Amino acid sequence: MIKLEHVNKSFHNGKLAVRDVSFEVNTGETLILLGTSGSGKTTTLRMINRLIAPDSGEIHVNGERVNAQQIESLRRNIGYVLQDNGLFPHYTVAENIGIVPTLLKWDKKRIEERTRSLMDKLHLSAADHYHVYPQQLSGGQQQRVGLARALAADPPVLLMDEPFGALDPVTRASVRKEFRTLDEISNKTVIMVTHDVQEAFELGDRICLMDNGAVQQTGTPAELLFQPANDFVSSFFHEQRFLLELNALRLADIRPWLHTSVPAENYSPVLRGDNSCWDALEQLTTLSAPVTISFEDALIRLDTSELMHAFTQYKQTVS
Amino acid sequence: MEEQPGFPEFVQQQAGKLLEQTLQHIGLTFISLLIAVIIGLPLGILITRRKKLAGIVLGIAGVLQTIPSIALLGFMIPLLGIGAKPAIVALFLYALLPIIRNTYTGILQVDPTVIDAATGMGMSKKQLLYQVQLPLAMPVLLAGIRTATVINVGVATLAAYIAAGGLGEFIFGGIALNNSNMILAGAIPSALLAIIFDWGIARLQKLRMRKVKTALYLLPFLLVILSSFYLLPAAYGTSLVAGFTPEFMGRKDGSLGLKQVYGLDMRTVVISDMIMYKAAYEKTLDVISGSTTDGRVKAFGLQALEDDKHIFPPYYAAPIARQETLDKYPELEPVLNKLSGIINDSIMTELNYRVDYQKQDPATVASAFLKAKGLLQTARHGTKGTIVIGAKMFGDGYVLANIYKLLVDGYTDLEAVTKTGLGGTKIAFEALTNGQIDLYPEYSGTGLLVILQANKAVVDTLISDKQKVYDYVSREFMQRYRIKWLPPVGFNNTYALMMRRQQAADLHITTITDLKEYLQHH
Repeated sequence: MIKLEHVNKSFHNGKLAVRDVSFEVNTGETLILLGTSGSGKTTTLRMINRLIAPDSGEIHVNGERVNAQQIESLRRNIGYVLQDNGLFPHYTVAENIGIVPTLLKWDKKRIEERTRSLMDKLHLSAADHYHVYPQQLSGGQQQRVGLARALAADPPVLLMDEPFGALDPVTRASVRKEFRTLDEISNKTVIMVTHDVQEAFELGDRICLMDNGAVQQTGTPAELLFQPANDFVSSFFHEQRFLLELNALRLADIRPWLHTSVPAENYSPVLRGDNSCWDALEQLTTLSAPVTISFEDALIRLDTSELMHAFTQYKQTVS
Repeated sequence: MEEQPGFPEFVQQQAGKLLEQTLQHIGLTFISLLIAVIIGLPLGILITRRKKLAGIVLGIAGVLQTIPSIALLGFMIPLLGIGAKPAIVALFLYALLPIIRNTYTGILQVDPTVIDAATGMGMSKKQLLYQVQLPLAMPVLLAGIRTATVINVGVATLAAYIAAGGLGEFIFGGIALNNSNMILAGAIPSALLAIIFDWGIARLQKLRMRKVKTALYLLPFLLVILSSFYLLPAAYGTSLVAGFTPEFMGRKDGSLGLKQVYGLDMRTVVISDMIMYKAAYEKTLDVISGSTTDGRVKAFGLQALEDDKHIFPPYYAAPIARQETLDKYPELEPVLNKLSGIINDSIMTELNYRVDYQKQDPATVASAFLKAKGLLQTARHGTKGTIVIGAKMFGDGYVLANIYKLLVDGYTDLEAVTKTGLGGTKIAFEALTNGQIDLYPEYSGTGLLVILQANKAVVDTLISDKQKVYDYVSREFMQRYRIKWLPPVGFNNTYALMMRRQQAADLHITTITDLKEYLQHH
């Protein structure tokens, strides 16, 4: 668990980089720090592992003030992923992954086992890449190694600073998908910095939208879209609003406006209640036929017009 | 340079000495390098952390680097005397800048993202330094050590000037003695050393990352081994220490004669003429190979030992000039001859004293002298032609060259320019034969032994009579080189062994034989 309370930070030029930032991230939750460049999100992230010292305010990791913890051991218990991966060019892939376990004095055998299992999970063939230097890998592979390195000592907390920012769109989508499905992070507290709205919506349980050093709103993607705290928040998503809304809304959210239930013995469901409206729309357009969705209480069959109708109804009730 | 026959023979004859000098050379280079690494590396690391210091430290090291090497050696003598100590300190100061600067830039050029990642993962400052910064800075750091090594191999040749040994002994001895074999015997090994070490460290730089660690452990080990070479030779000694110039070391009428005729065998270091007298005065040396008319003999209270077995021939000083020049400007010769017979030994010593010790400008001394003799005439600023007057790099030459300049300017329509500071007999004589200078003052004995390199039989028949020597060289120079010996100036400048007046009196030494006897019993 991570908690920030009234954190401020100004730089040498006197400009406030972070002003009165407070938020909480629960264990197992992923919080996205979203904002444009210069919004203070990276500074906020770097104060958590004490790469930057705040001017005032309190930061807690795992229930203890970070300043009260021995700085190296604090950092060794926080996985850290950087945009430009920061892999050691003079270390092999395996040595890079083993850095934190080595600092923690794990024995060699344990490090090797852990390294091989992580490489396996991240689709890096140990046979091909174990003794290879980072320069010999592709950008996507390097970023996977960076992720493996952050996860190596199984830290409860993971800080990610634009982890997919340097990758091309195709590689980015695939690494992101891998990350989302990785069992390693399901029980971790993750804070990820990004300026990519799509990415934020895809990966975040909650999003903390920052601008000009201050938090504008913290909430689930749907909360940010449908109950924006101020004009900045609503205008921030303006361009891709429809797409984001479809992405943010789960089918369960529009369940009250869906009526066509069908008997379970005749239809097999393609989607479930926690799938997004976007997923349903995708199915509808590819199949060109109604799709069946299993909710907790019933099986529902819907077509495009029914979906859009329910979607509009939902928006009217929340606004 | 023309390859004189017999270079292999020379090397074979001098193999022992060559090996000793080479080992000394390697030793000097690497002791100073080792100290420079021990001090420069931490200093370089320190200034990456305290950026304010960086400018100051790099500035000071940079200034040290710009001091001419011979001057730096000169500065060291009052502080540390002569011998290995000042040489090592000077070389150390030279090696410092490339090592500090490359450590500094090497560490700063490490990708900041890598440093950020390392810090973020919980590496301590020490772990960051040893596991990330130093390994990644290693190629740049090694490049610094490589530069420092090559600089040191070169500068270490100058160590011979202050009695620290090394291959400079052959190089400077060879220049002084007009002996190409000797120059090559010093120059080739020192060039080879530079190339070999440069290549070796370049290999280290190119090693794969993996092996850098091994290289790191190997390097200090190698440095220490190579440094220890310096301590190997020089394990013998006598109670008194002699310092001889490179030229004196190799001359028949020098150190070789002392050994053959007197059987004198004492601990000897090679030293530059420029600091030899002072070193004797400061008691770092006891016996030196002085020249009788040098002003510093008077200044430093030194006494010449009597050459009771007559190995040092008297040398007539006389201007030697290109016949071609004399033919072209017939008015030149009579003007030069105005000085003939005028300067005797004590006048020359006095003139040298004013230049060497009272630090008067040679031109001023020359003009005062001519005025006193009633020979000074105002310069005519003639435009008929230019006469270049050379001089070797010590006392007599500077003053004489300036006197001749004033004479030529005053009595002819020619314009004279001086080119003093020619490094030795070989350099001065080659400048004359090539026409880069038109005349310079030379000694008859030097002409006989160094330039003509007359064989032993000829030398033996001539050496006792200074007139015979003069006649012989006059004839031979004209025949071989079309160079004319003009009438002698008057004084004899001869070599002499010299001691401090006080010490000579205390030990009851007045002749070279006394010195030899004393050494045998102590």
